[in-house]
This record gives sequence, structure tokens and C-alpha cells, in this order.
Amino acid sequence: MRPEFKILKGFAFAAAALACGLSAKPAAAADPLLLGYQMPLSGDRSQYGEMFRNAAEIKLKAFNAAGGVDGTPVQIVYEDSKNDPKEAIAIAQKFSDNPRILGVLGDFSSTVAMAAGEVYAKSGVAQLSQTASHPDYTKVSKWQFRNITTQAYEGPFTSKWMRESGAKTVAIIAIQNDWGISAAEEFAKAFAAQGGKVTATEYFNPGTRDFRSILTKIGRAKPDAIYLCMFYEEGASALQQAKQLNVKSAMFSTSSLYSPKLIELGGDSVNGLRMASTFVPENPAPEVQTFVSEYKAAYNDAPNMFAAQAYDAVGIMLDALKAVGPKATRAQLRDALAKTNNYPGVTGKTSFDPETREPAKELAKMEVKGGKFVVLP
Amino acid sequence: MPDIFDAYFAQQVINGISLGLVYALVAIGFTLIFGILNVVNFAHGEIYTVGAFAGLLLIVGAAPPLLAVVLLVMAVGAAAGVGLERLAFRPIRRFSDEASLKSRAMREATLLSSLAVSIVAREVMAHVFGGEMRIIPQAALLQDVITLGPLTLTNGNLIIFGASVVMLGGLQFMLYRTRVGLSIRAVSNNVLGARHVGIDTNRTIVATFAIGSSLGAAAGILVGLYDGNIYPYMGFAPGIKAFVAMVMGGLSSIPGAVICALLLGVSESVATDFLSSGWKDLIAYGLLVVTLIFFPQGLFGHGRERV
Repeated sequence: MRPEFKILKGFAFAAAALACGLSAKPAAAADPLLLGYQMPLSGDRSQYGEMFRNAAEIKLKAFNAAGGVDGTPVQIVYEDSKNDPKEAIAIAQKFSDNPRILGVLGDFSSTVAMAAGEVYAKSGVAQLSQTASHPDYTKVSKWQFRNITTQAYEGPFTSKWMRESGAKTVAIIAIQNDWGISAAEEFAKAFAAQGGKVTATEYFNPGTRDFRSILTKIGRAKPDAIYLCMFYEEGASALQQAKQLNVKSAMFSTSSLYSPKLIELGGDSVNGLRMASTFVPENPAPEVQTFVSEYKAAYNDAPNMFAAQAYDAVGIMLDALKAVGPKATRAQLRDALAKTNNYPGVTGKTSFDPETREPAKELAKMEVKGGKFVVLP
Repeated sequence: MPDIFDAYFAQQVINGISLGLVYALVAIGFTLIFGILNVVNFAHGEIYTVGAFAGLLLIVGAAPPLLAVVLLVMAVGAAAGVGLERLAFRPIRRFSDEASLKSRAMREATLLSSLAVSIVAREVMAHVFGGEMRIIPQAALLQDVITLGPLTLTNGNLIIFGASVVMLGGLQFMLYRTRVGLSIRAVSNNVLGARHVGIDTNRTIVATFAIGSSLGAAAGILVGLYDGNIYPYMGFAPGIKAFVAMVMGGLSSIPGAVICALLLGVSESVATDFLSSGWKDLIAYGLLVVTLIFFPQGLFGHGRERV
């Protein structure tokens, strides 16, 4: 039943895209400059899309209030990809067919961002994802950028930290998607190279909330540490169930578990979890504090790493647009993005490598202590 | 592998039984409704979610004892079930001649209308509450650890086990020892025949929905508190597994569905020991296919019709 629905919806999108393409007129001088943003706004990843849109709106409002691009305001067109590659392709087609869209932000997961990326590669639109961290994402074409360090950067960092803390054996639990597999593999490679032993790598299907059988299975080898490659909702469940099953291993995770919600959902069981992170709301830097207080004021909620990634991604895109001016072409915007150097964002100073388009950021070490994220020196 | 049958294996069996009981709780209400209308109620998973959300709102708002929460949630579930019947089932049941009752098109229309209600209900909940997992007060969680030597259980395991036994027993009592049960069985056997002997079929069907949905809603809050997560999409996976258990059990046999749910849970959990856990759904659906090939009437079917 469901695939048919999706195909029908695909047709509808395609028809809508066609209609837009036919009716779009060349931009008049006073019209705002347009950027596209694709993200999951419905379906079971919609909470991430909501955060991205919330963060993007704050950044965009501040940017337009400060004069926009030489007096021309910028507008973002949001589309709901439902975290589904098929939807994402239809949206990418729609954005590409609209000549006023100069650049695109999103999508959320690597799988979906890469599916859309194939379209942007053909149509020549710069795509900047706030979260797609699969190593292959930027290899799609020269039009792909991201504002998140990849697992090829984070895996070895956390692995080294784990080895220094005395762990000789580790078991990995990872979500079964492109991102989870690359996170597990990059980490396993580094851990083995640094002289440790990976006792098990277990993948689970997205949507799993019962980790008891996986935890029981990997518990047999009594690993010194467990590395969780997942998101905070699964993380909270896995940590609660590990506590129930009396698992004694030290817990480490990917930075994707960083969220104030993790502690609210997981309670005591989250204490002792260690992870790398780029964004910490407790950071006293003025740009971080401005973002945190504006986000809280607008949405009555504390921003997490995902919101911060989107906030900076939008900021980087807007800065690039400002650099090329209101008459910019899609190709000029791409080249300006590639020149991003030391962008002072809330996720740390970000530079893009002009060749690989990979971002460089500083990672921090964090641990949950007494129900709080604490940055370790 | 001589050392595979160790304490970890026993723990895996315990994990499986508790997973199976979760499926069983959902399957009981599912099977009851199928038994009377011969139609799959796709919205049962959403009733389960509604139950979990109603229970959570109660816990956050008033923090009553667990038994009171469960009873109130069952009342909410019953109301939701009656509403569901009104919305998705009754409009399509307005023709009651024999040809309409036996028509495939009618059954398929009902199936689709329940699917439509389930999608709308799920997305409305996601819109109102947001798509993310709700925060559950730590004290309300059914996750207190009970250690038995190398094995661990939680109080949630015991409560879910108790709830399954009570529900199954209560339902069998109701079906075979009360007037309502008698009329439910009569309608499920033959709608026209039941009407000819003076049974109010509409009322019986509404009663079935109320009972089945109250059980589904109770399952939702208990499992939500046991797993520690409540979110708008939580009903989907247990709904599918309960459906598989119902089909394996022979569609209208409630004890059959419960036994098959346990079988599914244990085989999924034990399979994780031998395969990557990403494959565990293969076990569930593999068992379904094997059952359909070798026991086309289900493991506990009464030879009424082929699954």
C-alpha cells in the first residue's frame, strides 16, 4: 500500500515542480533572493526538520534585519522530504527547475542528502547539508558541502580517547543506515589501528527501541567499552536498557547523542556517557549565548547540536551569498562556499577545504555527570 | 559452540518472552476485532499510541497509582474504539444484505478506511505533540531491576505478564460465560443469523470495538512505560507483529494469537544471538511464510477459512 502512495505523491510533486517551472518568471530587482531547504517535516524524523527550520528562521531574520545582501532580503523555501530518498529527489528536481533558487540546504540523513545530491550535481546547484556525515556525500560532485565533521574525523578522535582511558576491547552498536555503517566502520578501523580489539559490531534497523537482545548478545564478551552510533532517542532507550541489564562497560557515543533531551529521556542511566561534540550551549562565547537565548525566546526550548548545525549551515550559506552579491549565479555561489574560511559559528570556527569541501572544526570532549553535559578539559 | 547455552542465552529467552508478551497484548484486541468483522483494523496500532499518550498525560498531570492509570486509559481506549467504529466501519456497514456482507469490495473498503483513520490519527498526534519521544517521569517507568543470579528482570516484565494473563483470562470468561460474549460469538459466526434471532448487531460490534480498543490502549501505556518511550509512531511496529501473530494463530483464535506472539518474540530474540540483529524481522516474516505454506488455516485456526 505504502509504496503506491509514495509513487502517487511523487507524481504529484513532479507535476507541481513542472507547474512551478513553467510559471516561474525571471526575478525582478526587488524580489527576495531564494534559497531552498529540504528537511523532514513529517514522518518519524520530523523533530529534526522542525529544529532545522527553527534555527534557520532565527539566522535568516537576523541576516535580513542587518541589511540582507546589499539591501536585498533573502527568503528560504522549505520542502518536506519525509526523510525519504524518493521524496528528496522530487524536491531536488523542483528546486533545480526554479531558476530563482540559488543554493540549497539539507537534507537530514546522508542517504537522503546523497539521493538529492545526484540531482543537484546534474543541475549545478550548490547543496550544503547541516548533518550528512557519510564520507561519500561530498564525493557525489563538486556541488556538495557540509557543515559537520565526518565520522572519518570523529571516529578516530573518540577511539583515541577510549584507548587513553584504558579500554582494550569495545563492542559497537550502530543504526543500520549509510551514516551508522560509516560511523561504526571508521571507528572500528581506528580502534584496531590503535591496538584495541572490537569484539562485536551490531546493526539495528531504524525504529528499533528494544535493545535488550543486542545488549545481551554483546555482553557475553564483556567488552571494556561500548560505542553507540545512533541518535539521542535510540540512545536514551539503549542506555536505560543497558542499566536494567546490568551492563558494566564504559559507554561512549557519537556526537549525535548530544541533546538536552537525552538526559530528560534517559534519567540516571545516561550518567557516565562520553562523547565528542562541537556545540555546547554552556559555552560562554557571545555568539553561542546569543543563539541559545534567541532560540529559547522564540521556541521555549533549548537548542541542541542539530539546531546549531543548521544555524551555522544557514549562516555559512548566507555569508557566501553576501560575498557574491544580489546578482549572483548558482556557480558563483558554489565558488564562494568553497572559499569559506574560519566562519565564526556556534559549532566552532569552520573552514571548508577548497578541494575536498570537507569542513574542519574543533571537537570537544564531553561527559554526562550528575544529569548535566560537562565539557572535559 | 558448546558455551552458547549459558546465562546469556537464558537472558535472551527472557528478553524474547517479554517482547512476545508485548506483541501478545496488542494481538489480543486486534484478533477480537478481526474475529467479529472479518476485517483487519489497521487503526489498532494508533489506539495503542492513543492509550500511551493518554496515560502519559495522566501521569504527568495527576500521578495516580498505576492501576488507576491503566483503568482510565482503558476508558479512553474504549471511547476511541467507539469513535473509530463510527468513523471508519459503520458508514461502510450500512448495507446489511447477504451479498454486501460477503462482498470483497466491502471488506477492502473497510480495510482502507481504517488505514486512512490510522494515518490521520498518527499525523495529528505528531502535529500536536511533535514527532519526538515524550519525556516520561523517571518514577513512573516500569524499569525497576529484579536480579535473579546472573539474570535480570524488571517489574515491567512482571506487570506485562500479569496484564496479559488477566486480559486473556478475562476475555475468555467474557466470551464464554456472559451474554455479551454470547452475542459477540453469535455475530462473529453469522451476522444475519444473529440478527434473525434478535441480537442487536450494531451494539455488539460497538461493544467489541470498545473492549478490543481498551485492551489495545492498556497495552500502549504499559509497554510505553516498560520501554521508556512514547512517541506518535510507536504503534506501527507492534501493530505489524501483532498482525503476524494473529495470522499465524489462525485469524480468530485469541489464545492462538498469544502463543504465536510469544513464539515470535522468543525466536526474534534468540535469533539475535546467531545473526545480526538487523535480520530479526526476517525471522518473524519467515515464520509467517512457513506457517502459511504448511498450515494454511493458521496454527490454531478452526478450519473456518483459509488465511
